Amino acid sequence: MSTVAYITARGLFGRRRVLLLLPLPVLLVGLALICRAYDVDPDQWGQAVVVGLGLAVVLPVTSLIVGTGVLGSEVDDGTIIHILTKPLPRRDIILAKLLVAVGVSAVVSCVPLYVAGVLADGNRFGLALAAAAAIGAVAYSALFLLLSLLTRRPVLLGLVYILVWEGLLGRFVSGTRVLSIEQYVITIADKIAPTDMLPGKVNLTVAIVMSVIFALGGTVYAINRLGSFSMAGETS
Amino acid sequence: MSEAGVIHDIGYQRYQGPRLGRGALLQAMYVHGLRAAFGLGRSAKSKIFPWGVAGIVLLVAVINAGVRSQTGNWLFDYYQLDDTMSWLVIFFAAIVAPELVSRDIRSGVLPLYFSRPVRAADYVMAKVAALVSAVFLMLGVPQFIMFLTGAFTTKTGMRGVWHELGLLIPGWGYSLLWAFIFASISLLIASLTGKRAFAAGGIVAVFLMTAPIVGVLNVLPSETAHHLSGLASPISLISGVEIWLRDRTDLGLDIGNLGPIYGIEAFCLIAACLLLLLARYRKVASL
Repeated sequence: MSTVAYITARGLFGRRRVLLLLPLPVLLVGLALICRAYDVDPDQWGQAVVVGLGLAVVLPVTSLIVGTGVLGSEVDDGTIIHILTKPLPRRDIILAKLLVAVGVSAVVSCVPLYVAGVLADGNRFGLALAAAAAIGAVAYSALFLLLSLLTRRPVLLGLVYILVWEGLLGRFVSGTRVLSIEQYVITIADKIAPTDMLPGKVNLTVAIVMSVIFALGGTVYAINRLGSFSMAGETS
Repeated sequence: MSEAGVIHDIGYQRYQGPRLGRGALLQAMYVHGLRAAFGLGRSAKSKIFPWGVAGIVLLVAVINAGVRSQTGNWLFDYYQLDDTMSWLVIFFAAIVAPELVSRDIRSGVLPLYFSRPVRAADYVMAKVAALVSAVFLMLGVPQFIMFLTGAFTTKTGMRGVWHELGLLIPGWGYSLLWAFIFASISLLIASLTGKRAFAAGGIVAVFLMTAPIVGVLNVLPSETAHHLSGLASPISLISGVEIWLRDRTDLGLDIGNLGPIYGIEAFCLIAACLLLLLARYRKVASL
């Protein structure tokens, strides 16, 4: 299992494209620093930076790129067959890959969110954001890992979820919020450190229970799917 | 490499017919690109996403047209249609741009393209034209449907139709601006990687992460920063150009008297992206 995790991590970091993950966190921290340097009231910039950029873009996009990358790129290359033919339980493969995905996306999104939170409202807010983002990273990663097994176009489907479901519909239709990981993260962070910046709109119990359902359900179903995985050619 | 059409004799089939020049090459690549953008000639699976997005925009336009024919007022006019659909335009560009250029890198056919008398400029031009047309069709056709409703329900006869046409043409121009900005940026990003997944993620990330910068610049304690804030993101850049050209003040972006700068940046952004694309294709390697 550790070998699978090692290979996955090397597959993620061994290429230049891991640098693609850098600009987002740097931008998040940079914007928070600029606002802080100009002594702008956090009530004015907090929502745009922390929610608009941090929770709505950095966390989901990082989890999407990493979460679909850990398994999806191997499915794409066809090298997944080398792992599948080893005498390893499929459960271990999924768990190892999920662990790497969660770890990477949690580090990439929690650290800048913590910094931005500290700059906006102090240590407690930063920790709340980091904790909520870590929970979000688990749920998102499980969901996107599952997507990369269900379809050959996991990134596009994940983008539909982020852009259309959470972004477009989440703003206009209140009902979609119950199935939006972004809203759970906002609610959880808001409950740990209440501020005016975070518009927590779902019930805390709902947020926690649904996050667990997303994380566990995604993992279990992904293990199930990998158990009966069939190799296919390049999508046309 | 000679200027007119070159047909390499690789010993299989002799050819004595007319030789088509660069124009035909360009046209072939353009038509292929436009078909690929909508998944024509591909499996049903690759039609889902582009047609899904185009269908939603069309549906919104039809609903809008229905409201207009019943109540006589638009839910949103030709410009607002583009603004409202901006997230879908991002998504559409993220679907189609990797389809157009990343596939070629991934399957290693670029050396094959450029061993024909195709220049980098031709290739880039054909791909950009295909994506611009695709985005324009996605926005322009719904606008045309809105125009048809407006024209058929007009109470003032021919004059009303002309009036409606006078609104549609600038609306189309606005869509064309959208198409050019989105096509040039997203093709540039997509041309950097052979993985469609990464290209799509990168395109969405660039468009989404620039939006909050505008919000931050808007709260800085400086009047000039407010006026220049729209320059930071492609979407607000486009609406800045609209504010400048149409003298609007109600679009939530205050550009002061710096309108021309928005126009210049829009032009420079498109030109710079196209030049970088050209530079990118100066040298192609088989991966």
